[in-house]
Amino acid sequence: MQDVAAAHIPSATAAVWEPRLVGFLCYWCSYAGADSAGTARLKYPPNLDIVKVMCSGRIDPELIATAFVHGADGVLVLGCHIGDCHYISGNHKTMVRMPLLRRLLADLGIEPGRFRHEWVSAAEGEKFARLVTEMTEQVRALGPLSWPALLRERGIGHGADLRPWGE
Amino acid sequence: MGEQTVPLADPGHDNGKPRIGVFICHCGGNISDVVDVKQVAEEIGGLPGVTIATTHMFACSDAGQALIEQKIRDLRLNRVVVAACSPSLHEATFRQTLTRAGLNPFLYEHANIREQVSWVVEDKALATQKAVRLLRAAVRRAGHLVPLTKRRIPIHPAVLVIGGGIAGLTAARHLASRGIAVTLVESTPFLGGRMPRLAGLFPTGRPARELLGPVLEEVSRNPRITIYTNAELVHSSGFIGDFRTTVRLHPRGVAPNAPVRAATAACPEEVPNEFDFELTKRKALYRPYDGCYPAVPAIDWSACTICGKCVEAGGSHGISLTEPPTEVEIRSGAIVIAIGLDLYRPQRGEYGFGEFPEVLTLAQLNRLLDPAGPTHGQLLVNGRPVRSIGFMHCVGSMQHTEVHEPAAGGKLNAYCSRVCCTACLHAETELKARDPGLHVYDFHEDIRTYGRWHEEYYTKASEQGVAFIRFNPLHPPRVERDPRGQAPLVVRTLDRLTFNEELEVPLDVLVLATGLVARDMSRLVDLFRCALGPDRFLMEVHPKLRPVELASFGLFLAGSVQGPMDTVESSAGAAAAAAKAAALVSQATIELDPFVARIDEARCSGCRVCLGACAYEAISRDDGKGVAVVNEALCTGCGTCVAACPCSAMTQLGFSDTQMKSEILALLAGEAAAAV
Repeated sequence: MQDVAAAHIPSATAAVWEPRLVGFLCYWCSYAGADSAGTARLKYPPNLDIVKVMCSGRIDPELIATAFVHGADGVLVLGCHIGDCHYISGNHKTMVRMPLLRRLLADLGIEPGRFRHEWVSAAEGEKFARLVTEMTEQVRALGPLSWPALLRERGIGHGADLRPWGE
Repeated sequence: MGEQTVPLADPGHDNGKPRIGVFICHCGGNISDVVDVKQVAEEIGGLPGVTIATTHMFACSDAGQALIEQKIRDLRLNRVVVAACSPSLHEATFRQTLTRAGLNPFLYEHANIREQVSWVVEDKALATQKAVRLLRAAVRRAGHLVPLTKRRIPIHPAVLVIGGGIAGLTAARHLASRGIAVTLVESTPFLGGRMPRLAGLFPTGRPARELLGPVLEEVSRNPRITIYTNAELVHSSGFIGDFRTTVRLHPRGVAPNAPVRAATAACPEEVPNEFDFELTKRKALYRPYDGCYPAVPAIDWSACTICGKCVEAGGSHGISLTEPPTEVEIRSGAIVIAIGLDLYRPQRGEYGFGEFPEVLTLAQLNRLLDPAGPTHGQLLVNGRPVRSIGFMHCVGSMQHTEVHEPAAGGKLNAYCSRVCCTACLHAETELKARDPGLHVYDFHEDIRTYGRWHEEYYTKASEQGVAFIRFNPLHPPRVERDPRGQAPLVVRTLDRLTFNEELEVPLDVLVLATGLVARDMSRLVDLFRCALGPDRFLMEVHPKLRPVELASFGLFLAGSVQGPMDTVESSAGAAAAAAKAAALVSQATIELDPFVARIDEARCSGCRVCLGACAYEAISRDDGKGVAVVNEALCTGCGTCVAACPCSAMTQLGFSDTQMKSEILALLAGEAAAAV
C-alpha cells in the first residue's frame, strides 16, 4: 500500500519524472491573482514557475519557444481579462497572438494541451490554482516533451540551430 | 534580440562583474516553516557570481535592511537578490535599501517564495526545491541587470476641472486658494449644476442657492480661475504633468448688453424647463433662475430655430445667431473630473408615473416647495390644497431582477442611491411643519438615514405623525385610480410592520423618490481611459487607500461622478481631489518607473509595426532616419511593442530578452540537457 501511495505523491527524492511548467504572468492582474492564491493558502502543484512581465502584451512568442527549447513540458500564459488591461489593450495583442502561436506550435509537434492561454484577474486566486492543477495533470498525462529531439526526429527545422540559447 | 547595450557603469563595483548578495527571509516562519531556508542558502551560495547567500528572520525589518546595507558596503556587492514575500509588498522597500547603500536601486531582483512557495506548497522538500529554482532564476537574471534611472517628468502647474457643479466649483476654489491656475469647463451655459434647483438642504435646512451664491461669487471673481461654459470636450492628449485637452466652445448667442427682456418675450419657442424638472416651460432664450452665473441669458441651440425674432426685437444688437463655435486647447498637469450624475427617470407606468398627473418625482416636489419655484411654494392638486401625500422610496434604486425591467444598457440599479431616504424624510418633515393636519405616508422597503444628523429627520417625522409603511420589495405597492373617488389615487400594499396587513391608502399626491444614476461616461472613457464600476460610475484605484484617483496617472475624481453622494460628500470628495491634484502640480517634476521601451536604431527597419502596437501613441517614426522613436514620457512600460517588433530592435528596460531568457533558462536548468 505504501508503495502505491508513494508513486502518486511527487517527492523531491524519488527519481520519477515531474512535468516542468513555465507560467508567463502579467504583473497587474494575473501575478496578483497568483498572490491571492497564496494569501488564501490554496494548495496547488509546485510544478509551475512564474516569469513576471508588466503586461501580457510583452510575451513574445520567442520567449515561449525558448521555454520549450530548454526543457519546459508546458507553458501557461495569463493576462488581465479583456477590458481590464492596466495598459488599455496590451492583452488584445495577446488575445490575437496566442491562438496563432498555438497552431504554429501544433505544427511543430507540441500538443495543444501543453500550451494554454487564460485570463486571470487579481481576485481570481482560485482560478489560478485550478489552472495550475489542471495544467500539471494534463501535461503529466502527455508525458515529457523533449522538443529539440522531437524536431530532429521529424526532420522539422531544416538544420536550424536549436542549441540552448547561450548568454 | 534587443540585447542590453547599456554598459554596467557603477563606479567602484568591479567593472560590472557581478558580486551578488542573496538574502533569504524567514518571514518569521511564514517561509521557513515550510522552506528549508538554510539549505536554499547553501545551494544558492555556490552559484557563480554569488558573493554571499544568507538568511534573516525578517529581511524587511530595520535590522534586516541594515544587514543588507552593511553587506553591500563590506563585500562591495553590486547586485542584490531578496527572496521573501510578493514584490508588490516589499520590492520598493528593498530598492530603497540599495539606494541608501549607494547602489542603483534597479540592480535589485526579488524572488517571491512566500505567496508562490511556502503558502501554496505543502511538501517541504518540494517547496525547498521550488524556492531554489526561483532563486536560481533571480540570481541569473540579476547578473544581467543594468543601472536604470527613474524618469523625471516636468509638471505643468495648472489643473483642468471638468464640470461646474458644486464638486467642480469646490475643487476649483481650493486649487486656486493654493495659488494654482485652474480652468473650469462646464457643458451647459450656467454654473452650479443640480444644487440651485434644491430648496433647503439637509442637514442644515439652509436654502441651497444661499449657500451656492458665495461659492459662485468666489470662483467667478478669482483671477486664477478661467471659466468656460457651453464647453464640449473634443479631444485629449498628453499625460501626467502635461495634458492637452481641446474644448469646443459653443457660442452663448447673447452679449451682456443685449436687450434681454424684449428678446426673451419675442422668442416663440417653448420647451420643457429642466430647471423645474419639466413642470414648467421656458423659452429657447433663457436663464434658469435669478442669481445664476453667468447672469447673462443663453440661447438653447437645441430648441432655437434661428427664426430671428429675438434679433429683431432687440434692435439687432447684442444677439447673434450665426456665430460659429471656437476651440481652445487647455494645458494642465492634472485633470479633476467632476461631471456629477443624473436622476433616474421612472419608466412610464412605474408607480403610475406619466399616467396620473398626481404622481410626481421628489425633485419636482422640491421645486413646488421652493418659495421661488413655479408655484411660489404652494402645493396644490387640481387647484385644491393637498390633504394626503405619499412618498415611495427606492424608485430606480435597489432594483431586483425578479421585479424590474433593466434599463437601456441592460443593467439594473441594484445599489442604494443613499441620499433619497433622508431627502424624503426632509420633505416630509417640511410638509408636516407647514400643515400638521396633512396626512403623510412613507412607503419604503428599508430606510437608511446613514449620514451625520440624518437620523434626526426620521425621529422628527415619526414624532410629527408620518405613517411608515414597509413593503416587500419583491411585491412592490400598486398605484391605481381610487375606484370610490375619495381621492385621485390609491396605493395598495402589504405592510410588513403590521405583519402583512393589506392596506389601501387614498392619496392626493404620490411622490417618487427617484434614485441617482451614472451619466453617460462613454466620452470620458474614450478621452481619458477611465475605469467604470459595475454601477457604471467611475471607479477609483482603491476605495480606501486611493479614493479620489483614477488608475491613469494625473486624473482625479471629485464628487458624485464616483457614485451617489449628497452635497456634503461631494464637497468633501472635491476637496480631497483638489488636495491630491495640488500636491501633484506643486512639484516641479515627478518620477516614474524606468521600464520604458528603447529602440536599437541599427536593427530597426522602420516598418511601423510597433506604432500600431502602442496604445499610448508613444512611438512615432523618424522619416528622415527611417526608424522608430519612443517618447519616454508617454511610454507606460508595458512592453507590447517589444513583442511586436519583427527585427528585435525594440527592447524594454528591466525586461530585456536577455534578462527574461536568462530567467527562463535558470528555471529549467538541468532540463535542457535532457531535452537536447
